[in-house]
Amino acid sequence: MALKHLRSLIALGALVPLLALAQGTPAPAGCEVPAELVQDDPTFPILAERLKTKQPVVVVVIGGSSTTGRAAGGGDAAYPHELELALQHRYPGVPITVLNKGVAGETAEQMAARMERDAIAENPALVIWEVGTADAVRATNLDEFTATLQAGITQLHEHRIDAMLVDMQYSPDTTSVINFQPYLDGLHQIGDLADAYVFRRYDIMKHWSEAGVFNFTDVPKSERRELATKVYACLGERLADAIDYAVR
Amino acid sequence: MAEPAVRPVRDLRLDFFRGLSLFLIFIDHIPGNILSYFTLRSVAFSDAAEAFIFISGFTAAIVYGTVLRQRGFLLSAAQTYRRVWQLYVAHVFLFMIFTAEVSYTLNAADNPMYAEEMGVGNFLNEPHVAIIEALLLRFQPTFLDILPLYIVMLAGFPFAMVLVQRHALWALIPSALLYVAVQRWGWALHLYPDGHPWFFNPLAWQFLFVIGAVCGNFQALGWRVLPEGRWIPWLAGGVVVFCALVSLTWLIHSIYDPFPPVLAQELWRPAIDKTNLSPVRLVNFLALSVVAVSVLPRDSAFLAGRFAQPIVLCGQNSLYIFCLGILLAVLGHFVLAEVTDRLLVQLLVNAAGIVLMISAAFIIAWYKKASRPAASAAAARPAE
Repeated sequence: MALKHLRSLIALGALVPLLALAQGTPAPAGCEVPAELVQDDPTFPILAERLKTKQPVVVVVIGGSSTTGRAAGGGDAAYPHELELALQHRYPGVPITVLNKGVAGETAEQMAARMERDAIAENPALVIWEVGTADAVRATNLDEFTATLQAGITQLHEHRIDAMLVDMQYSPDTTSVINFQPYLDGLHQIGDLADAYVFRRYDIMKHWSEAGVFNFTDVPKSERRELATKVYACLGERLADAIDYAVR
Repeated sequence: MAEPAVRPVRDLRLDFFRGLSLFLIFIDHIPGNILSYFTLRSVAFSDAAEAFIFISGFTAAIVYGTVLRQRGFLLSAAQTYRRVWQLYVAHVFLFMIFTAEVSYTLNAADNPMYAEEMGVGNFLNEPHVAIIEALLLRFQPTFLDILPLYIVMLAGFPFAMVLVQRHALWALIPSALLYVAVQRWGWALHLYPDGHPWFFNPLAWQFLFVIGAVCGNFQALGWRVLPEGRWIPWLAGGVVVFCALVSLTWLIHSIYDPFPPVLAQELWRPAIDKTNLSPVRLVNFLALSVVAVSVLPRDSAFLAGRFAQPIVLCGQNSLYIFCLGILLAVLGHFVLAEVTDRLLVQLLVNAAGIVLMISAAFIIAWYKKASRPAASAAAARPAE
């Protein structure tokens, strides 16, 4: 008797995510993180105003290869698209578009060069800048890296656009050959100095890895695409948490 | 300006601080290492790299400078280039280890999610170019950037030393002009494959090496290195305390966000400009060294004591211990990245590394002493 009830409960539990999927709202379970990992001081006054008055909102994500989402098949599986779904779900009645301007392998400097054309020209309320991986891989000059970030954020603020920085992916297998730390520190410090919200993707993914939510090492070939799809869905959700917090 | 008849007693402070900077370089070369928050760079704009380069210039001026003065340019240059060759071989050896590590990593981490990160192995696509560029010191993988700087510094040293001995200003003025030009116009040497500048720009760092050589030459001649006057240590102390307080506010801010970082807008970017040895780093380091020699007199009992001995021994065998430290940092980082970076393991890796460095220094010191012919065993031979 009791067992039977338990079974129906489990069956019901399994149905919930299916229902959610059917409604087109991504709700990846189990990848929540402690609040302090998604919270930062800067706020998004421009975005907050548009959401409050229910004006159309454009968010541009400018970034590198993880932004393109190619590992999960790109396009709809990339985290900017997942973010768009999450925001539409959280702010019903506001037309929200998230544009994906990811180009694989670009350094901060290359992205800054197309900031005007790819981001500012779209008249966004918020620009999310995913940056630093190619710089750490190629060991670009740290001083130039931080200067580029600072100039880019200042440029966005001058155009009355809110700015968010997304740091590198946590990549346990390559940390022994890529020196991420100075670039992570530099990016966080510039966020602080230039008043841009920092989304700590590195720490969030590290948290997932340590909590056993995802395993990023020795992934069998057949599961790589699935892993990327789940991680991008979770990132989109956590980005929406951060934006919720920044428009408070 | 009579030349000293006998070589002055070795200044153990050089060995002590060089040994200490070797430990700090080891600790700072393990990324994400918890102990790296407790090294010099938390309380100063400069770090162990400045100490290492300055002391290397200082001791080179004493050892090879004495040979230059007594036996002439050719022998002094030949001895210097013997050292350069040893450093070069050590660099190539470390490069081999790095390449092995990258090949292993690419195999383990091959995952489209990390497509961008995999770019670190791009040099393997054209090994015929990469190996030549590495031999030419134009390809410097991450974490292997300080040895090439040391090699270039020493390679130019015999010529710089001729100027230093003629008159300090003959060396200092051109060196300072080059340094200023680098700060002003960003002159740099460029690297394979993307043409990025050297992590340690030799055109900037040569200034500190030459300052070290000039000070070392003064000491070798038995002259005062610092002018007389009590205000000098006090001024230096003021600079050190000021920089320490500012750096500490940054450290606290990074841990506890509401705490305000003092002068971060103005000083933070120059303070991390290690590539070009920004003036704030240089000034902070010079002040630190003045304070260090004022606090620790040359004849201090501490230096000859049991506690200082392992550190002094590491400093006296700095070439070997330096290379060993870099190698251990690479291996230690590999353990933390591949196995676990739990706090206890981090502390163990640090402790193991330092114990190995000290053990190696004891073995080298024993070997040097034991293989010396009995007759000359009493005459202490200076280390490099």
